[in-house]
Amino acid sequence: MPSALDTNMRFKFSILALLLEVIIIVIFGIFVEYELHADIQTLYPLFQDVHVMIFIGFGFLMTFLKKYGFSSVGINMLIAALGLQWGTLMQGFWHMEGGKIHVSIKSMINADFSTATALISFGAVLGKTSPVQMLILTVLEITIFACNEHLVTRVFEATDVGGSMTIHAFGAYFGLAVTLVLHRPGLKNKHQNEESTYHTDIFAMIGTLFLWLFWPSFNSAIVPETPSMITAIINTYFSLAACTVVTFALSSLVDQRGKFNMVLIQNATLAGGVAMGTCADLPIHCFAAMCIGSIAGIISVLGFCFLTPLLASKLNIHDTCGVHNLHGLPGVLGGITGIVVTAIRTDTGPGSRFTPSMQAAALGSTIGIALAGGVLTGGILKLPFLGHTSDQNCFDDSVYWEVRHNLPLFSLGWKMYSTLQSCSLEVFVVCTQVSAFKNVAVPQAVNVSKPPSGSFLDMLASHAIYIRLTLNKKQKQTKQIETSVEVSASSSPF
Amino acid sequence: MVIFGFGFFLAFLKRYEFSSTGFNLLIVVLGVQCSMLIDLIFHLPYKNVLDRVAEATVSVTAVVISAGTVLGKTNPVQLILMTVVEMIVFRTSRWINSTFLQVPGKISVMHAPLFGAYFGLAISSRFSEPSPRSEKNASTPKSDLLSMLGTLFLWVFWPSFNSILVANHNERAICNTYFTLAASTVTAFALSALTTKDGRFRMTHIRSAALAGGVAVAYTAQSIKYPWIAMILGQLASVITVLGSYCLQRCLNPAFKIHDASGVHFTFGLPSVLGAFVQEVLFIVNNGTNSPRLVYAVVVHIAAFCLTISVALIVGFITGSILSLKLFKTIPVSKYFDDQFYWEFPHLAVGF
Repeated sequence: MPSALDTNMRFKFSILALLLEVIIIVIFGIFVEYELHADIQTLYPLFQDVHVMIFIGFGFLMTFLKKYGFSSVGINMLIAALGLQWGTLMQGFWHMEGGKIHVSIKSMINADFSTATALISFGAVLGKTSPVQMLILTVLEITIFACNEHLVTRVFEATDVGGSMTIHAFGAYFGLAVTLVLHRPGLKNKHQNEESTYHTDIFAMIGTLFLWLFWPSFNSAIVPETPSMITAIINTYFSLAACTVVTFALSSLVDQRGKFNMVLIQNATLAGGVAMGTCADLPIHCFAAMCIGSIAGIISVLGFCFLTPLLASKLNIHDTCGVHNLHGLPGVLGGITGIVVTAIRTDTGPGSRFTPSMQAAALGSTIGIALAGGVLTGGILKLPFLGHTSDQNCFDDSVYWEVRHNLPLFSLGWKMYSTLQSCSLEVFVVCTQVSAFKNVAVPQAVNVSKPPSGSFLDMLASHAIYIRLTLNKKQKQTKQIETSVEVSASSSPF
Repeated sequence: MVIFGFGFFLAFLKRYEFSSTGFNLLIVVLGVQCSMLIDLIFHLPYKNVLDRVAEATVSVTAVVISAGTVLGKTNPVQLILMTVVEMIVFRTSRWINSTFLQVPGKISVMHAPLFGAYFGLAISSRFSEPSPRSEKNASTPKSDLLSMLGTLFLWVFWPSFNSILVANHNERAICNTYFTLAASTVTAFALSALTTKDGRFRMTHIRSAALAGGVAVAYTAQSIKYPWIAMILGQLASVITVLGSYCLQRCLNPAFKIHDASGVHFTFGLPSVLGAFVQEVLFIVNNGTNSPRLVYAVVVHIAAFCLTISVALIVGFITGSILSLKLFKTIPVSKYFDDQFYWEFPHLAVGF
């Protein structure tokens, strides 16, 4: 079990969170009031889609780690809930009218967008930070994001409807910079919990599907005019479709035996949506959108295969979720396509307002600010009193959550072998025999509490419980364990 | 509105495991039809069909919530009976509210969580408690994640839930609910870390407290004028919920022999009491001038509120007594929380 000393955040976390909440409420009380339009019919469904993406999509996309599901979804929810309030304020400060921030559905969408950056950065540092650190990261990052967004959209007047640059690239590079500063040399060799299981991959796939489905809404939510909104939806749709096909093809290609890789399918399929963000509403043809999607898929897959290991080993950037490949590279690609499209099509449509140089400036400033802000934030997060976990406790829910430990049977055997060296031989034999059955999906049969009625898997489970109970009472029961093993050995049909 | 229906549906669908999801689907479908039927029989106010379906779905939450309290302890026959009885009674209670107390129909639908929670509690007091040692009455990390999926769906679609029946102040209701939920979530995390022994989060707290804000703001979603009021309300709801789960499980439940399988009392019951209370306070603050009418209005609100609770408790108690008769083949205590009792498994080796 993780020691409670360095991670006990009972007062640290709760006081900080309550304090932030109270501060936010006070600021809301002073500055914020409602501004209600009748545009609800068009905007509200879009808002809802974005909302689903932020909370369910991003949350479940990160559940792939085998012991980190609670934190992925839970902390994701915390970050998003805090971030949307803070984002409302920060974005509101740039658009104040008469000393008041006006809140409507549109600003709610924008607030949700701003939380997306924090969530993307969370993906990069997933498993290596404490909730206290995440609170601080959220507040700082959203502040910096709001400034950068103001710079890009108001000063440079660049286009970035779906936030390829301002949201995705920003969040990814911010997260990478943070994780560079927080580098843990102890995690150089792969941590034993840093892998996925079959079930966690399926959970992550839920997230992917939701993101995939609602990405057209994400890219079109803040497009002002209806015709370009439809353009944005269609472009994103085709880009995603092309990207998915390319991802499957490449995933099979880069694997030595031609099998699909679930990590790639979960992440790279979404790259098309990210890359479409900048020029979604510009008048480009469907085939251009599909080309962009395909290129995004290619660079994302290649990034996962070659760049991430390189970053981890050479540059000490350990990117848990691979956000660099899902958000960073496709985001930059989106920025570049924005430059190209505005350079080619200067004549028609709403694209005429935007110039390539301003697009380039927007891209450069976004990446620069993200990196600088990330290094700064990482430095602040490194302060010792923020509940840093030890390297050993990374990627483990039980540090911050109350988790019921239902050990799968086969690992039970392993546990006993390692804890009670002396008497473990029989136990281990029984459990290895069980582990031969692990395809039969027994993992949590430990739940059965009473001596069962018949089926032999149940019976094994009940013995396992008996063994586990005696284990909990620790050392003096060596004898009891032996007897229980005898029981199971005598009555087992092996 | 259709989006609302789907979102809401999915939320409860994925909420628990095999039985919970399956039976929930059954209850919701049955309940909606039942409610429509009652509407038709009594020729209640003429609206278009979609409105009516929406209203029916909102009232079905009452049933779903009460099903939450007896989760794992009833068989499908009992559940069906419970659904029908509860729909009828809830409709009647709304009818009383709107005829005698002149409460607008939209407000009275919002009593659904309140009604459902206390109805369910009354029923569950008639069922025997499960043995405390039972390991089936526990969650695994996997099932916790699934139920978190359900919670997130509820969370995301709660603004729609609160605003669907409100025609003119739609956007305000949405914004209020949104901020309330956000505030209550942050507070839930803070308090959860504060109340547990070594400063860890507990999934149950997060699940129920995050939703509590939405429940609490249901009454007032359309009338709150500033977001900060909504956010304070969310914080309060969250506080009540976490403290409720902390105290109630220890003191109240043993005293009344209530076993609340999924924490319905503090997720839905207490926050909606809070919501109703806050509604009165805001009402008084907003119309501070003309006192005689004000007093009358407040009394009417409180009367409607009390009426709902008492009807829920009494009828729930009676229904519970009927349901626990031998006739319905009540499940023995040892078979509580067991999917295998009702469902065919492809093979016996199913983990849960």
